[in-house]
This record gives sequence, structure tokens and C-alpha cells, in this order.
Amino acid sequence: MTPAVLLLLFGAVTAGLSLQIRVGTLRAPGSGFFPFYLGLLLILLAAIRLAQLWREGRSLPGGDQGAAAQGSWQRVLLFLGATVLATGLLTVLGYPVAAFLLMALLLHILGVRRWTHVVAIALCAAGVSYALFVRWLQIPLPMGGFGL
Amino acid sequence: MDVLGSLQYLATGFGVATTPENLFYCLAGAIVGTLVGVLPGLGPIAGIALLIPATFNLNATSAIIMLAGIYYGAMYGGSTTSILINVPGETASVMTCIDGYQMARKGRAGPALALCAIGSFVAGGLAILGLAFLAPPLAEAALAFGPPEFFSLMVFGFVVLSNVTGGSLIKSLMMALVGLIIGTIGLDPVSGNPRFTFGYVSLLGGIEFVAVAIGLFGIGEVLVNAEQPAEILEQRVLVPRFRDLYPNLQDLKQSLGPILRGTGIGFGVGLVPGPAPVIATYASYMVEKRISDHPEEFGHGAIEGVAGPESANNAACQSAFIPLFVLGIPFAPPTAILLGALLIHGVNPGPAMIAEHPQLFWGVVASMYIGNFILLLLNLPFVPLFANILRIPKKVLLPLVMLFCLTGMYSVNNFMLDLWVMLGCGALGYLMRKWAYEGAPLLLALVLGPKLEVAFRQSLMISHGAFNIFVERPVSLVFLLATLGFLLLPLFRYTVRSLGRGRAAAA
Repeated sequence: MTPAVLLLLFGAVTAGLSLQIRVGTLRAPGSGFFPFYLGLLLILLAAIRLAQLWREGRSLPGGDQGAAAQGSWQRVLLFLGATVLATGLLTVLGYPVAAFLLMALLLHILGVRRWTHVVAIALCAAGVSYALFVRWLQIPLPMGGFGL
Repeated sequence: MDVLGSLQYLATGFGVATTPENLFYCLAGAIVGTLVGVLPGLGPIAGIALLIPATFNLNATSAIIMLAGIYYGAMYGGSTTSILINVPGETASVMTCIDGYQMARKGRAGPALALCAIGSFVAGGLAILGLAFLAPPLAEAALAFGPPEFFSLMVFGFVVLSNVTGGSLIKSLMMALVGLIIGTIGLDPVSGNPRFTFGYVSLLGGIEFVAVAIGLFGIGEVLVNAEQPAEILEQRVLVPRFRDLYPNLQDLKQSLGPILRGTGIGFGVGLVPGPAPVIATYASYMVEKRISDHPEEFGHGAIEGVAGPESANNAACQSAFIPLFVLGIPFAPPTAILLGALLIHGVNPGPAMIAEHPQLFWGVVASMYIGNFILLLLNLPFVPLFANILRIPKKVLLPLVMLFCLTGMYSVNNFMLDLWVMLGCGALGYLMRKWAYEGAPLLLALVLGPKLEVAFRQSLMISHGAFNIFVERPVSLVFLLATLGFLLLPLFRYTVRSLGRGRAAAA
């Protein structure tokens, strides 16, 4: 149910915002023309989908569930959260430190228990990627206050 | 263009492809492709997208030689994990698991791997021949296409893709619409007005499709993997010893038919919209099983079930270049990313491309021959080497892939916003996987969106706002009728089924 509702809302927001741009007519379509009708079409399809789910829903609860959900979604949330944190700190810490932080956090979350292993792997990964991307490929990654 | 002319151009192409520089990029593409194919969780789509920044300093020909190499290289690499550990390295190798892994359990991993490489090589070679001789005349024919034809063709492409990607048609169509809507962010391609930028200058250029591609297909996959139970994350793979890599005469004889049939099936499927390599492997497996004298062996290590599909996916991924080079319209995500790469390098693919950039087209075609040869060499003696990568447990591999995605994405534009878009799309990709929504239509729509809108609005300008321009031009009408057919197909099937049910209930 949830994804279809979200898609319906997305279509509605798109169509609404397009109205502010100038939809125009078939003879003289404006910038908002294309997105406006795309939004309408999305609303229509999402509504059909909701109707389908509503009909199926009586016989099959949770009919919109895809691949069998097993394992822990909390770990996924932690994993993504750690990535967001390291990315957010990229400009402050600089690339080498942020890369080390990212690796250390993710390794820990995925269950590498020995902290010596965590530090060793994270150091290696940060070092190699620093050498590869910054030194060799000359990509201007943020260096933070360390100015390495 | 006649056959002789094509041969002459092909010779020039070999001149382009055999310069030391291009040979190096061809080799690099083949190696990266094999790696991407071997590593579960990193497919050709994310692989090509990640390597785009590495091509910025290259000319367009070298860039496409390398990126194309990743695509077909992944087809070779994907079979390795399927056979050795029963885990497909990428989706086009799912069918190979069935009989390939059984062969490995019987100690015949070597011949299975060797036949995959040989089959891929033969199929690749034949399919490139098709590409070289079919693309130029098709491109000449497509020169007559105007905006209405392109519009109808693209609509046809979306609907067929949504129909074949599996799952529900309506869900896939909604994903295509979401992709088209995201594609309208930025400057209006016709009038130049900003749309949906909310006053942010950084959004004027639109949403970076590389970020969406890596997010949906790279990060999304990493997140799905991170969810797995601890035992799987801990798992180390025991790579079997390769006592005997080389197949015997009997194996070769048995595989010849499947390889040739697989090539034919793959080549045909590659021309149609959809995840061609995946469908081609499935079709080839079914055909081999149906015509086999011993269908009971399928599922227990039948060599035909390995040789056929592995040839089919290679042929399909080579012929998928035909719509890209002839029409400038990619029919599946990997070629959509290649289209993006061509645009970055200032080449606008379309019917005129082969004539305007002959070194590019023929150089890339010739490089595919060389690339297939390199891959054959890489995959025969060096298979044990690549298989060793599988010894890295997932709990170490996944963080590495994440770091690589973030760094690679930053190097595309040196732009923090891209990283956030990528992570957002990663979360979206994860949810879509959970809710069984397909990512392919979204990505394709994002890349083709601006082209579709321009074609649509230009058509209306030509016709002064009359919609019938789309049905008055015969080619456009054919595409639209075919689209309608594909849309009505599920409805038709549904009606037949419920009629049948009603009759059964009455009886």
C-alpha cells in the first residue's frame, strides 16, 4: 500500500508544482506542460494500482510485499546512517580521515569484532584510496584541516 | 553502405583500436569488467558508471572502448561465481548457476568455466559481425526519422521494457514516469527556463544520472546485502582446485549447437528493449532443455545448460549496441549509461553518428574483437586468480564497495550534492527492492526524458498543436500500435484467465 500512496503523492506534487511554471496549450506548450501531464499520468496509474491492491487485499494481506524480508533492517539503517555521517563530515575532516571513519564504522556494523582488524583494514583502505584517487588520479577531494 | 565499404571501414577501425593507448584501455575495460562480474553486489551498471570519471581526460573513442569493455567483460566474469559458488556475479548469470554449479560439484568446474569463456568468445565474435554489418544500413534508414517517430519509438521502448522486466507492468510504468519526472528537473531543454530547482543554482544542470545509477544499482545492492544474516556476511568461499581446466572433445561437440543457438537468440533479444542479457539466458536455457535428447540431465550438470545461456548473454550485450549506435536510444540501463558517457564526451548518438564519427564507431567495433580475445585469455588461464577475490568475506567487501562508490561519485563533478543524491537513491533502491519495484525503467527514463520531451514538443510545433501527427506518419503509427498491443496484453491475458476460471467454476 505504502509505495502506491507515495507515488500518488509524488504525482500530485509534480502536477501542482508544474501549474506554477506555465503549462500552456497543445499549440504552444510551456515548460510546465510535460511534467504536468506526467504527474497526472502517475496519479492515474497509482490510483489503478491502489484499486488493484484494495481488491487483492481482502484475500492476500500485505500483497505489496516484494522479496521476502528477512535479516535485520536495523543494521541497514545503521549502515546508511554511518555512511551519511561520514559523508557529512567529509568537508570538515578531509578525505583520508573521513574514509577511515567510514570504513571503521561500516566494518564494525557488519560484525568485524576485533578492533585491531577494524583499524588495520580501515587504514589500508583509506591509504590505498588516498593514493589512488588523490595522488594518482589527482581528484580534488576535500582535505579538511589536515592539508595532507 | 555496401559490404565492401564496411570491410574497409572495419580495417580502419582496427587501425584505431590497435594503437597502444586504445589497446591499454581495452585491456583495462576487460579486467574491470571481469572483476565487476565476479564481485556479487557490483554489476555492470554501477561498474560502468563508476569508471566514467576515469575517462574524462580521454578522447571519446578510448573512453567508449573502455566502458564497453566493462559491459561485455562483466558477462564473462559473471559466470565464474555462478559455477564456483552458486552465486550469480550479476543477473545475466542466474541461469548458469543451475547446471554450472552442479558441474562444479562433480569436479568439472574447469570444463564448465572453459566452455563459458569459449562460448562467450564465439558468440561475441559473431554478434559483433552482426553489429558491424547491420548497424550502418539501419542507421541510414533511421535518418528518415523525425521527432514524431523518435517519440513513438521511445514510448514503445518504455512500455516493452516495463513489460519484460518482470513483476507488474503498472509498477514498472510508474517507475518510468518517476524517472521522466526527475529528468525534468533543471533547465527546460526547449525554452531554457528553470524547472523544479527551488532556487538552487546547483540543480540547474539537472540531477546527475550517474548518481542515480550508482545509487539505485550500487548502493541499493550493498544495502540489501548488508541486511543479510551474520553467517552469510562471515562466509568465506572455498575455491575449488582446478585439476583440469580444459574440456574434452565430447564436451566441445555437445556445446557447439547450444553456443550457436544461444548466439542467435541473444542477438535477436539484444535488439529489443529490455534487460537483454538476462532474458536471452533464460530463453536459451529453455530452448536447450526443450530440444535436448536428455532433458532429465538439466539441473544436474548438463553442459548445454551452461554453454547456451553464457553464449546468449554475450551476444545480447553486443547486439544491444545496435539501437544505441543506430538510433541513439538505449534500450537497457548499461547502454543508457554509455549514452550518458557519449554525451559527456560531446558525441550525440543518433542515426548520423556512424557517418559523423566513423573512427569512434568502427574503432569501438574493432576493439570489441580485441576485447573478446583478451577476455578469452583472461578467463581461461587466469580464472583461479579472479576466483580468489571471492575469498574476501562480504563484511569487508561491502564497506569497500561503499567507499569506492562515494569516492568515485565525488570524482565525477567534485560536487557534494551528487553524493547526497546518490545516497538518497541508494535508500530508494533498497526500498524498491523490498517493494519489488524495478530500477531499470526509472534509470532509462531519466536518461531518455529530455530527448522524449524535445521530440514530443518539436512534433507538436511541426503540426501546430495537432496530435494526429503521431498517427499520420506510418512509422510512428506502427510503433504506437505495437505499444498499445503491449499495454493491452496483460489485460487480455487477465480476461482469458478469468473467463477460464468462470467456465471451470460453472463446470
